[in-house]
Amino acid sequence: MTTALLGRLPRAAGVLGALAGTALLVGALPWLSGADPARSVLRARDVEGTPDAAALEAVRRQLDLPADPVTGTLGFLGRLLTGDLGTSWVSRTPVADTVLPALGVSLTVAGAASLLALLLAGLLTVPALLRAADGRLRGGGPGAAVGGALSALPEFVLAVLLVAVLAVGWGLLPTTGFTGPEHLVLPALALGVPAAGVLARLLAGAVAATAGESWVRTWRAAGVRRSAVATALGRRAVAVVVPQILLLLVGTLGAAAVVEAVFDIPGLGGTALRAALSQDVPVVQAAVVLLVATGLLVGGGGVLVHRLVLGPARTGSGFTPEAAAGRRRPQRAAGVVAGLLLLAVLAGLLRDPTAQDVDLRLAPPSWAHPLGADPLGRDVLARFGHGALLSVGLAVVLSALTLVVGLAAGLLGRGDRSGPADVLNALPAVVVGIVVAAVTGPGLLAACVAVTLVGWIPLAVHARTLAVEARASGFHVAAVAGGAGRWHVVRRHLLPVVGPPVLRHALVRVPHASLALAGLSFLGLGAGAESPEWGRALAETTGYLERAPWVVGAPAAGLVLLGVVAALADPAPER
Amino acid sequence: MNRRTALLAVPALLVSGCFAGGGDSTDDAADRLRVALPFPPVAALSPWTDDALLLTRMGAAETLVTFEASGAAEPQLAESWEFVDDRTAVLELRDDVVFHDGTPMDAEAVAGSLNAAAAADPGLRVLRDVGLVATAVDTDTVQVQAAQADPLLVQRLGAPSLVVLSSDAYTDPAAPDPVGHGTGPYAITDVQGVQSATLDAAADYWGGPPAADGVDVRFVDDADSRTSSLRAGELDVVQGVPIAQLATLTDEQRVVTTSLPRVTALQLNTADGVFADPALRAAAVAAVDAGPVVDGVVEGQADVAPGLLTDDTLGAAVRTAPTLPAAGDPAGASIRLATYDDRPELPEAAAVLAEQLRAAGFTVEVVVQTYATLEPDLLAGAFDAVLGSRLTLLDTGDPVGYFATDFTCDGGYNLARLCDPAVDAAVAAAAALTDPRERRQAAADLEAQVLSTGAVVPVLHEQSRTGVARGVQGVGADPFERQVVTVATTTGR
Repeated sequence: MTTALLGRLPRAAGVLGALAGTALLVGALPWLSGADPARSVLRARDVEGTPDAAALEAVRRQLDLPADPVTGTLGFLGRLLTGDLGTSWVSRTPVADTVLPALGVSLTVAGAASLLALLLAGLLTVPALLRAADGRLRGGGPGAAVGGALSALPEFVLAVLLVAVLAVGWGLLPTTGFTGPEHLVLPALALGVPAAGVLARLLAGAVAATAGESWVRTWRAAGVRRSAVATALGRRAVAVVVPQILLLLVGTLGAAAVVEAVFDIPGLGGTALRAALSQDVPVVQAAVVLLVATGLLVGGGGVLVHRLVLGPARTGSGFTPEAAAGRRRPQRAAGVVAGLLLLAVLAGLLRDPTAQDVDLRLAPPSWAHPLGADPLGRDVLARFGHGALLSVGLAVVLSALTLVVGLAAGLLGRGDRSGPADVLNALPAVVVGIVVAAVTGPGLLAACVAVTLVGWIPLAVHARTLAVEARASGFHVAAVAGGAGRWHVVRRHLLPVVGPPVLRHALVRVPHASLALAGLSFLGLGAGAESPEWGRALAETTGYLERAPWVVGAPAAGLVLLGVVAALADPAPER
Repeated sequence: MNRRTALLAVPALLVSGCFAGGGDSTDDAADRLRVALPFPPVAALSPWTDDALLLTRMGAAETLVTFEASGAAEPQLAESWEFVDDRTAVLELRDDVVFHDGTPMDAEAVAGSLNAAAAADPGLRVLRDVGLVATAVDTDTVQVQAAQADPLLVQRLGAPSLVVLSSDAYTDPAAPDPVGHGTGPYAITDVQGVQSATLDAAADYWGGPPAADGVDVRFVDDADSRTSSLRAGELDVVQGVPIAQLATLTDEQRVVTTSLPRVTALQLNTADGVFADPALRAAAVAAVDAGPVVDGVVEGQADVAPGLLTDDTLGAAVRTAPTLPAAGDPAGASIRLATYDDRPELPEAAAVLAEQLRAAGFTVEVVVQTYATLEPDLLAGAFDAVLGSRLTLLDTGDPVGYFATDFTCDGGYNLARLCDPAVDAAVAAAAALTDPRERRQAAADLEAQVLSTGAVVPVLHEQSRTGVARGVQGVGADPFERQVVTVATTTGR
C-alpha cells in the first residue's frame, strides 16, 4: 500500500510541476514579449487614447505589477491554493467570474462537437466494418476518402457557410448567441465535422489493419455471426480513436476562438485570446491553469477508457497485430485527383498573381479570369497556383516534422500515461504563438515552430495507443522474453506495426498544418501579408463567402483535394 | 448502470452543461429594441474606460453637453453656460432631470459626479493636466474650474467618460456602477457579463417618453456575425456593418450612414530609414492615389480625404494647399509598410497603396498584424510607413489636440516621429486660442503645415454604418458615434 502511494508521488509532482510551469510561462509573457503590460492594459481600456508617461505610471502603480515572473507566479499559485483566482488587470473584476462560466460554455461546445465527431466518424465507418466482417474490404473503404475530404475543411469557413445557409438563408437555427441548446448545433457542426473527417480516416485505417489479423479469418471460418465479427472489429478500431477524441475535446476548449467569434459564444478561447493580447496576465494564467488541469484530467481519463475498451486482452499476449504485408498500390482515384490538382496549379503558375485591378474587384469567373478575381482584382487562378507551392510544401514539411517527433515521443515513451502532450495540447494556440513569436521574432520559421509544437501531439498519442496494443502481442512478449534490446524491439517489432497508420494519420493532417499556419498570421507569424498561401488567402477572404464564393472556394477546394489525395495515397495494403 | 452506459452519460452531461444567461428572455408582447454594439465591455461598463461609449450608445447615460457636426458644444443635461473668466465656467442645469434610481439630478449630484471623475486613477484622458474642480452654486447651477486657462473647459464636459451618474454609482470610488444610475431614455436593469445588457424605458425621461418599452443589447465582437444576425431578423439595430457585407443586405434591412471625423492616413517615418529624406517622402506623397482605395476597396463607402480634417470639422475655415519639396527618385529603396487587421479594410487598402508605391519605384514589404501586438513596434518607429485610422476629433470636439498628440515632438501617438519646432510652436499657439472660429482656422493652417512636411498622407475619411431592420426609425446619426439608441428610436413593429 505504502509503496503504491510512493509510486504515485512522482506523478502527482509531475502534475503540479506542469501546472506551475505553465503558470510561470504565462506569467512571463510580458517579459518574453518585451511589451509593457501597463501600456497593453491601458490600450485595452482606452482604444483611442494616448499612452503617455503619467497614465502608464498610474496603471503600473495600480496593478502592483510583480518585479519578475517568478514572484508574480508564486503569488498567483499562493492565491490559487486559497481558491482565489485573482483580479483582472484590465476590468478589475474577479477573474473567476469571467473564466469559470467561459470554461463551462467551452466544455459544452467542445463536448457536443466531440460527440458529434465520434458519431459521424462511426457512421462513415459502418460500411467498411461490414465489408471487413465479410472479408471483402479493400483499402480503407469510402470512409477514408470522405474522411480525408472532411478533415481538410477549414473550421472557420464551415462556420461562416453554416450561418449563411442554415441560419440566415433557411432560418432553421439562430445565427449567434449562446442562451439555449439550439445555439449549440451550428458550432458543434463547424468544429465536429472536420474532426470527424480525421477520425473517420483513422477508423478506416484501424479497421483495415485489424481486418487482416488472423482471428478474423478464424472467426469467419468458424461461422461466427457477421454482426459479432463487425462489433469485435469496431471495438478494436474505437480503442484507437478514443484517445484522439479526448485530445480533440481538450484542444478545442481553449483554441476555438475563431469559431466562437463567428457564433458570438462567450467561451474560453475568445476570453484567453483577448486577455493574452491585452497582457491581462491574471486572466490568462487562470485560463491556462484551468485548461491544463482539465487536459491532464481528461488525458488520464483517456488512458483509463482505452484500458476499459481493450479489456483484459491488453495485459496478456492477446493481440496479433500484423505488420503491413503484400503489395501497395495507391488507388487510381488518388492519381486522378492529384492530376486535376496539378493541372490547376500549373495553369495558375503561368499567370501573374500580383497584378491588381480594383475595377475587377470580386469579378465572377470569366474567360479572362477562369476562377474570378479577388477583392483587389487579382486573378484567383494565378494566386491558387502560386500559393500551392508554398501551401503544399510547407504543409508537407510540417507534417513530416510532426510525424518524426510524434513517432519518437509515442514509441520511446514508457508506459501509456499522459504527460507533456496533454499539457501542450491544452494550451491555447495564441499563447503558444505569442511565446514563440517572443522568443524567435515574427516570421515563417516562428509559425512553423509553433505549429510543430502542438502538431505532434495527436500523432504521438496515436503511436502510443498502437504501441500499447503491439506491446501486448505475442511476438513482442516473445521478443522481450528472448532478451531483445529496447532499440531492436522498437525497430523490428513496434515501428512496422505502428508506423504505417501514424504515417497515414500525418498525411490526413497535411491540410491542417496549412490552416494552423494561417491561424497565427494575425500575430505576424506565418506567410507574409500579400502571400498567396492558401491558408492565408482563406483567412483573409472568408467574409466574402456569400458575395464571391469563388474567392474562398479556390483555396478551400485546393485544401480539400489535397486532403483526398493524402487520404487515398497510402491505402491499407490489399490482401 | 453498466460500464458502457456510464461512458455514454459523460458527454450527455457535458451537453446539458452551461449556457450563458441571456438578455433576450423577455416576453414577446413587449415592444423592445434588439441592438448589437460592436465591442464587449472592458471594465464592467465603468464610464472611465471605453465602456462610456457603450453607455451613451445604449441610451443609458448622458453628458452635460453634446456636439454638433463641427464639434461645437450644444446643450444636453446643461441648458446653458457662460465663462466667468478664462478658467471658470458656470452651467445652468435642466431642472426636470431624474436619475434612474429616482433621485433628482441637482447641482450637488453633478458636481459629485464630475469631481469623482477628476479623481479617477489613472486620470481620464479628457481631464489630463486640467485639474478640474466642480462646485454646486445652487440647486440648478454648477461651477467648473480648471487649474489654468482652458478654452476647452465646456467642450470637455461632452466627453463620454464624463457622463453624469447619481451619487450611489460611486460607492466603489475606483469603479463607478452605471446600472440604474444614469439619466438616459433607457435604464440598465441587468448586465450579463460581457455578453449582453437589459434596459427598460425610463418613464419620466426629461426628453419625453421613450418610443420603445425597453432595449436588449448584445455586445458582438465580430462584425460579420452582427450582420448575419440582422439579416436573420434576430436584431433590429446593428452598429458597424462591414463594407464587405453591405451587398448581402436585402429589402428587409437598410443602413444609416454618417460621415465621421476619422481619417485613414499613411504615416511616414521621418526620423529613420528611407523616409527621413524629405524628397523621398514627397515621392511617396505623389505616388499615393486614394481613388482606387475609395472606389475599390471601400466600395465608395468613404470620402477621398482632402486633408487630415474633414470639411465638416473645418466649417468656414479655409484650407491652404501644402507645399512639398521636389520629389526624389526612390531608385528601388526598400520600405516596410505596416497596418493592422482589426479594421478589415486596412490590409486591402495597404496592398493597393503598396502597389502604387512599387509603381513609383519603391520596394515594399507589407506587414499585417493585430493591433495589440503591433502597437509597441509602431510607437517604437520600427516601420517606414504605417497605414492607420485615427479620430481627429476625440473627446472635446476640438481638432488641435489631434495635432498635439500625433505630430509634435512630445506627442504620445506620433507614428510619423515628426519633430519640427515650427509645428510644435504652431500647435502651442493654436491651443491657446479661445474663439472657436479662430481655432478652426488655426487647425486648417496646422494641417497645411503638417502636410507640407510630407510626414503623413491622408487617404480617406471614414463613414459609420448602422444597419437597421426595415421598420426601425429614429436611430442616432451621430458623427461622434455616441448616440445609437435615442428616445425616438422605434422598432416599427
